[in-house]
Amino acid sequence: MTRQPPSTDPVQPGSLLRLRGAMDRMFTGLASGSVLLIALALAVVLAPMLWRGAGAVVFKGTVEFRRMQLEQFHRGDPSTLSDELAEISRARQPVYDMLDRFSRGIATEQLEEEARQLYREFGKQLDRRDTPAQQRTELRSLAKQLRDDFTEAAQSSDKAAAQEALERVLKHADEPRLKGTVAEGFFRMARDYGRIVETVDLGRRVEYAKALGEVRDAIQALFGPRPGEPRPPLVMDQYGATRWDVAEKQLARLLTAEKWVEVKPGQPLQRVDVPREREFAGTDLVPLFPLVRERARDMLRPQTTIYWQYFIDDSLSGHYFGGVGPEILGTLLVTVLAIAFALPLGVVSAAYLVECAGDGRTVRLIRTCINTLAGVPSIVFGLFGLAFFVIFLLPKFGLPQGSSVLAGGLTLGLLVLPIIIRASEEAIRSVPATYKEAALALGASRLRCFVTVMLPAALPGILTGVILSVSRAAGETAPILFTAAVAMGTTSWPPWEAITKPAVTLAYSSYNLAVGDRLAALVPHNQYGMVMTLILLVLILNIAAILVRSHMAKRLRGQ
Amino acid sequence: MGRVADALRLKQGGAAADFDRPLLLTPGENLAGYIGSHAGRAALFLVTATSVVAVLLIFVFIIREALAFFVDPAALPPLDWTSAGSAFAWTWAALSSIGARLAELLGGTQWYPEAANPEFGALSILVGSLYVTGGALLIAVPVGLLAAVCLSDILPFAARQTVKPLVEILAAIPSVAYGFFAVLVLAPWMQEHLHISTGTNALNAAIILAVMAIPTIVSVSEDSLTAVGRELREASYACGATRAETMVKVVIPAAHSGIIAAVILGMMRAIGETMVVWMASGNAAQIPSPWWDLTQSVRTMTATIAGEMGETPQGSDHYRALFAIGLLLLAFTFALNLVTEHFLHRVRRAGGASR
Amino acid sequence: MLEPGDSPAEMTQTPYAPDKTVRARVPTRFSATGPQPLSGEPIIRAHDFSLFYGEKAGVRKITMDIHPQSVTAIIGPSGCGKSTFLRSINRMNDLIPHVRAEGRLEVAGIDVYDRRVNLPNLRQQVGMVFQKPNPFPKSIYDNVAYGRRFQGFRHRGELDEAVERCLRAAALWDEVKDNLRKSALALSGGQQQRLCIARALATQPKVLLMDEPCSALDPIATGRIEELIADLKNVYTIVIVTHNMQQAARVSERTAFFCLGELIEYDRTSVIFTKPAKKQTEDYVTGRFG
Repeated sequence: MTRQPPSTDPVQPGSLLRLRGAMDRMFTGLASGSVLLIALALAVVLAPMLWRGAGAVVFKGTVEFRRMQLEQFHRGDPSTLSDELAEISRARQPVYDMLDRFSRGIATEQLEEEARQLYREFGKQLDRRDTPAQQRTELRSLAKQLRDDFTEAAQSSDKAAAQEALERVLKHADEPRLKGTVAEGFFRMARDYGRIVETVDLGRRVEYAKALGEVRDAIQALFGPRPGEPRPPLVMDQYGATRWDVAEKQLARLLTAEKWVEVKPGQPLQRVDVPREREFAGTDLVPLFPLVRERARDMLRPQTTIYWQYFIDDSLSGHYFGGVGPEILGTLLVTVLAIAFALPLGVVSAAYLVECAGDGRTVRLIRTCINTLAGVPSIVFGLFGLAFFVIFLLPKFGLPQGSSVLAGGLTLGLLVLPIIIRASEEAIRSVPATYKEAALALGASRLRCFVTVMLPAALPGILTGVILSVSRAAGETAPILFTAAVAMGTTSWPPWEAITKPAVTLAYSSYNLAVGDRLAALVPHNQYGMVMTLILLVLILNIAAILVRSHMAKRLRGQ
Repeated sequence: MGRVADALRLKQGGAAADFDRPLLLTPGENLAGYIGSHAGRAALFLVTATSVVAVLLIFVFIIREALAFFVDPAALPPLDWTSAGSAFAWTWAALSSIGARLAELLGGTQWYPEAANPEFGALSILVGSLYVTGGALLIAVPVGLLAAVCLSDILPFAARQTVKPLVEILAAIPSVAYGFFAVLVLAPWMQEHLHISTGTNALNAAIILAVMAIPTIVSVSEDSLTAVGRELREASYACGATRAETMVKVVIPAAHSGIIAAVILGMMRAIGETMVVWMASGNAAQIPSPWWDLTQSVRTMTATIAGEMGETPQGSDHYRALFAIGLLLLAFTFALNLVTEHFLHRVRRAGGASR
Repeated sequence: MLEPGDSPAEMTQTPYAPDKTVRARVPTRFSATGPQPLSGEPIIRAHDFSLFYGEKAGVRKITMDIHPQSVTAIIGPSGCGKSTFLRSINRMNDLIPHVRAEGRLEVAGIDVYDRRVNLPNLRQQVGMVFQKPNPFPKSIYDNVAYGRRFQGFRHRGELDEAVERCLRAAALWDEVKDNLRKSALALSGGQQQRLCIARALATQPKVLLMDEPCSALDPIATGRIEELIADLKNVYTIVIVTHNMQQAARVSERTAFFCLGELIEYDRTSVIFTKPAKKQTEDYVTGRFG
């Protein structure tokens, strides 16, 4: 008899099985997607800040940068710099010449003043030459006529009228009695001005003046103040564009004008970009723009610069120039103080909790308090630091009431105390009990056993806790807002002087540069540079913690 | 004489030195030892008690300033402890003052502390905190929990060694850096792509807070998922369940105490966060209308304290009001802490029992 | 009392014959405040000694004497209180919470559970070697010097000399003398155990308590330890707990058989293994239970 094949009826219908499989795959997909999302979030958050921040250290620096470094930070070779400066001033000179010439055409007061000056000079010249009185009067009135005609031409906004007035002036160009006198200046001025009259739309003189002002500003932002002009009071105005990327932006501002036009009546104005060549079309300022555009590199001489001193230098002009040295120092001071306060307390507390404490109510109370400390929001720590350390406690020791590194360090110390206690406790607990047994069996007292055997064995864990606390303390802003940090100023040195005064810190200054400082928005690379420094500091500390953990664990295993 | 005796250079006779060290303590030594060990323990205890002292001090000093907001000592009737009537009147006046001020703080939506007639209605600020925290949790809990599941059950060991440090690094990034990102990168992006008037709003803050809370949720959840142990999982698989079913129906319910603790810890992180919300939430003390529109600016408790304290003169009503808000924050996180401790205690007990 | 000519039971073949020489005993001195035993007196005496963990008894009413410069083995099935009794001798049981002792357990005439006992001194002079080798995560030198250091010896030369002597006595010197700074954890299991023995010797003990010292080691390492024990016994009093009966037969002169916390029989090793007085002993020794 043939055997029946085993029943092929599945326990479940195939469709349900497939559904369950699909749900399983979807679940796995979602879970993996979450992990990918986290990794993506990390990349998205860190990448722009690190990348743009790197631009504060590695960038194309122009000759203005090198000049600034030499004058403000005494860095660099003066002789090479002066050679460079000579070359670029040669390159820049045509620009200034063109500007001067054009502005003379616009700023007619200057021309009028020149004309009056010429007239007075001419009069004096006539006196000196002892011209007979009748001739003198004649020549004088001729010169006066020339002056008045020229002034009329200069003041006129009508091209034809101006040209006609200029014609009247130039009619006397060949007057033999005026040859060799200063009156020839009139003719020179008339010819120059005549050229301008042909090219410039005199009716738009006011507009030209305004546009010329913008061009001048852009040139100043690019090249700095003109040599020979008085030095501006603010440091940031004393130099042109120190970085090539900033220079390119200024260049764009020079080459293009922003105009707000009404495209549709009643609608908000729209921004339209007008190339300045078009704005100054027909005038002899036009060749300035292609000149600057093409020769900008010669005028600024960008070079790849690695400004590693960024991490040491003071900042100038509200972080317009310079680096983050004081901030790093302030952060380090506050952090070191916090650890100095929390480490002994934390390790001793952990020792007590592991070695001596039982499970009674007191110990549970202590543990609850440690957990509470860990859970207090950082801004409440800031309030406490203000109310207790700044206002109440430190003045009792003679410190003036106000922010100080000491107050901030103590507040941060309280913040990281639970971290150190937890890490130390875990480290001490994870020391194998056999070491303790062996030490005690050799006749060591409990204290000696702890100090000579258990503590050294727990050191990797404690060290990891310390490094993580440093990283946390360096990054916290809220606790030091009211206790230690200031926006402007610097961190003092040596440390014993610094602790009674406030300090600038990476954390608070990052905040300040991001939102508080309109000035800072002009130098985004410094904004990002500050926050990048903070992130790098924290990352380095965390990686160090991981390395310490694995290295010392290897040593404990005997390798 | 024996190899060992030779090695140890012992005298003729062979035995190691006698019991030359006394086995009994002299009374003096005994007393000294007694005192020493107890004094040592007391000293250690005192040092450990600094954390208790610190918590007490925090509460005392915050309450001291906040209390001045709730009760004006000058406005109370004179107190004469000997007279019951006077004590009653005084207590009643104090309590009603506290009650009135509390009602104003929690009920009013107008926060104008610097106006001529100052108003201290912090309801909109509380709601702001709620919005931002709630939004953060809405994003962080599913993502964090799923990631914890992935870490504990799906990823192979080598991948886990890479992902765990990643999560740790995410947790280590300072809040100022997150705030920086929120203001300078995310806000313009939002403004451009979502066509809203401002990029600093509740949504922005909620997203960033979610990213900050996720590592907490992931690590605590993962710990409690691993603590469930292999036995439960093996039993479920042996019944033919898929991995999804095992996780959802068996493991996660078994680890529910730890997961709740993780969520609450994440919530505490989000509520207590200052810099991110200060920079990214827009700082407008308003309740968004319509209520579901997260793209409007809000203000949180932490941002209010941080933003206004700098310009507030010490001892003024505004100053005390800020401390009152700080007290609310402290009380709330303290309560959450106790709840978390309860749940974590249950995890430890359950974990110990299952082993 | 030891008798000359004692040798292990014939039923075990062993190349590790104990040293048969009998030396004249020098009267031992005890300077402790207490009775002054004469030569040959027991160095460890237990009289109705019991140890309780809470309510459970670890060992119950143990009465036995251990004489100087002898090797006493304690055998018995697992959980019978061998280690408990051993650890009571140097008060290592104090590490366990809720422990309570009754009866008398004397070392050199002093009841070790007397409240006035100087524990560090006791433990220095009654050394212990544990089941699993547990050298400190320090160098070989620092491990051996550990005990010496806190006895007050700090001078470099003294310590060097002491370390060398102890390592020689533990038969480890030749293997490690080239690099004493190496981490102790890099040694093999057998070497680590000999290091632990050297470390215990450094505090100049009189008694060595060994709690299953070879159970974590391979046979070759075990053999070397047993050889070492045979050498050590000329100088120290050794009490060794072992679950390996053959080992007990090989190394010891007297053997105690414990079962369920009680001392069943205590006699010369040859007697225990050939003609035990109690049936229980015979059952265990012949392998009928255990």
